[in-house]
Amino acid sequence: VIIPEFEYVAPGDLQEALDCLASHGEEAVVLAGGTDLLVRLKQRLLKPRFVVSLKNLRGLEGIHKKDGVIVLGAMTPLVEVLESETVGKYLPALKQAVEKIGAPSIQHFRGTIGGNLCLDTRCLFYNQSQFWRSGRTPCHKDSGKTCYAEENSDRCRSANQSDGACALMALGCDVVLASTGGQRVLPVGEFFTGKGESPFSIEPGELVVELRVPEPGEGAGSSFQKITQRSAIDFALVSAAVSLRVQGGRFGGVRISVGGAGAAPLFLKEASATLVGKPIDDNRSIDATSGLARKHASAFMVENLGSSLEYRQKMVHVLVRRGIKEAVAMATGCCG
Amino acid sequence: VIVKEGAGESVTGPMAKRGIKRFMKKKIPLSFTVNGEEVELYISPNRTLLEVLREELELTGTKEGCGEGVCGSCTVLCDGVPVRSCLTLAMEVDRHDITTVEGLGEQGEPDPLQQSFIDHGAVQCRQGTAEEKSGTGRGRNSPGDKWKYMQVHRLHKDC
Repeated sequence: VIIPEFEYVAPGDLQEALDCLASHGEEAVVLAGGTDLLVRLKQRLLKPRFVVSLKNLRGLEGIHKKDGVIVLGAMTPLVEVLESETVGKYLPALKQAVEKIGAPSIQHFRGTIGGNLCLDTRCLFYNQSQFWRSGRTPCHKDSGKTCYAEENSDRCRSANQSDGACALMALGCDVVLASTGGQRVLPVGEFFTGKGESPFSIEPGELVVELRVPEPGEGAGSSFQKITQRSAIDFALVSAAVSLRVQGGRFGGVRISVGGAGAAPLFLKEASATLVGKPIDDNRSIDATSGLARKHASAFMVENLGSSLEYRQKMVHVLVRRGIKEAVAMATGCCG
Repeated sequence: VIVKEGAGESVTGPMAKRGIKRFMKKKIPLSFTVNGEEVELYISPNRTLLEVLREELELTGTKEGCGEGVCGSCTVLCDGVPVRSCLTLAMEVDRHDITTVEGLGEQGEPDPLQQSFIDHGAVQCRQGTAEEKSGTGRGRNSPGDKWKYMQVHRLHKDC
């Protein structure tokens, strides 16, 4: 499939890139690794006038730890996240998530962590070829007024299937957005709008430059779980990330997030809170929390990914439970 | 050096004053190394690396399978690491070093992996041989050009 025509711009540094985005605004798309963008271009889901390549922005690469915050440059290739000792030691959930993005040995060299965070929402009825979509009226995501995933839905019900975003939601990171007017820092919860049509609160002219993840303290553990149809090169049917601390044999600081459900990775506040203070070997509480997670996540899920809705809802329970158990094992050092 | 002429030229404007390169004409210059040979040519920015390799440079050993990064038929090495050429804009490899399947081995002197494929009769088969040995036989489900895929893969992993 031939990619539609556009003008190619390759700014030499961040300032140039921001100038360029400021002057082209909504007509431009940002090309980081391109592993998802090029597919979208081929399917004519995007028809930009300008493609702004970030290939020369070396300053946005790299991972370092500063004042208890782990800073990941948005253009850091996935392979670098995987090989980073800092990520492996402090953010196991992020490492597990990145391992499961695309193909382990191929796309990790091109895909970037910032690009993965900004993965647009997906739907079985939207991410299809132009020919496939031409047979029916456009859906909400396609600037139309129909939804094929849920009958009579007044909005887009596409799902956020990004693994990195789900893990970062549980780890509670801050997203740094830059524009010609300066920088602003958004907590990851506010970075996502929850709307399928426009899932990110990135203004035109803004660029994600950095992710700041707070260093988890003593006794912290985290885990990422994902279910796919194939073992690799597949988007999550549903995924869950859990981050927690174990203090004196009890749960503390629990954050549970579920991906592949709503238009944003869902941070399940209430389910997370029910686990705090419970003993870590209290299987009944873990099960109850997972059940609550399933109940709450189910409200956001519709039949729009490659597996049945009922199965995906059931798997929320399973993945959250697995996630909690693995995070506990990591926190208590049972599995190194 | 292969030089293919095109009609492209960079155009100056308000963007150029700020030092931003912007090309108004359809074709823009691209130079990179393919299998040790330097190549300069003019291309439309919307061409993928795969299209440039096959159509402009006539290196047809690299195949298009699914065209969306799933199958791996189009894998080439970019600076020694495997990338999907169907999901890489040709402009993104400007001044980089590309190795395609044509760059492996010599006539009568196959690459060790090519020899291994001959020994095991692995034509389009994904079981056995190199992939399993290199311990990365995970999630490979390409229907097509496994032959080249694995060569490239192995080249990266072991050689």
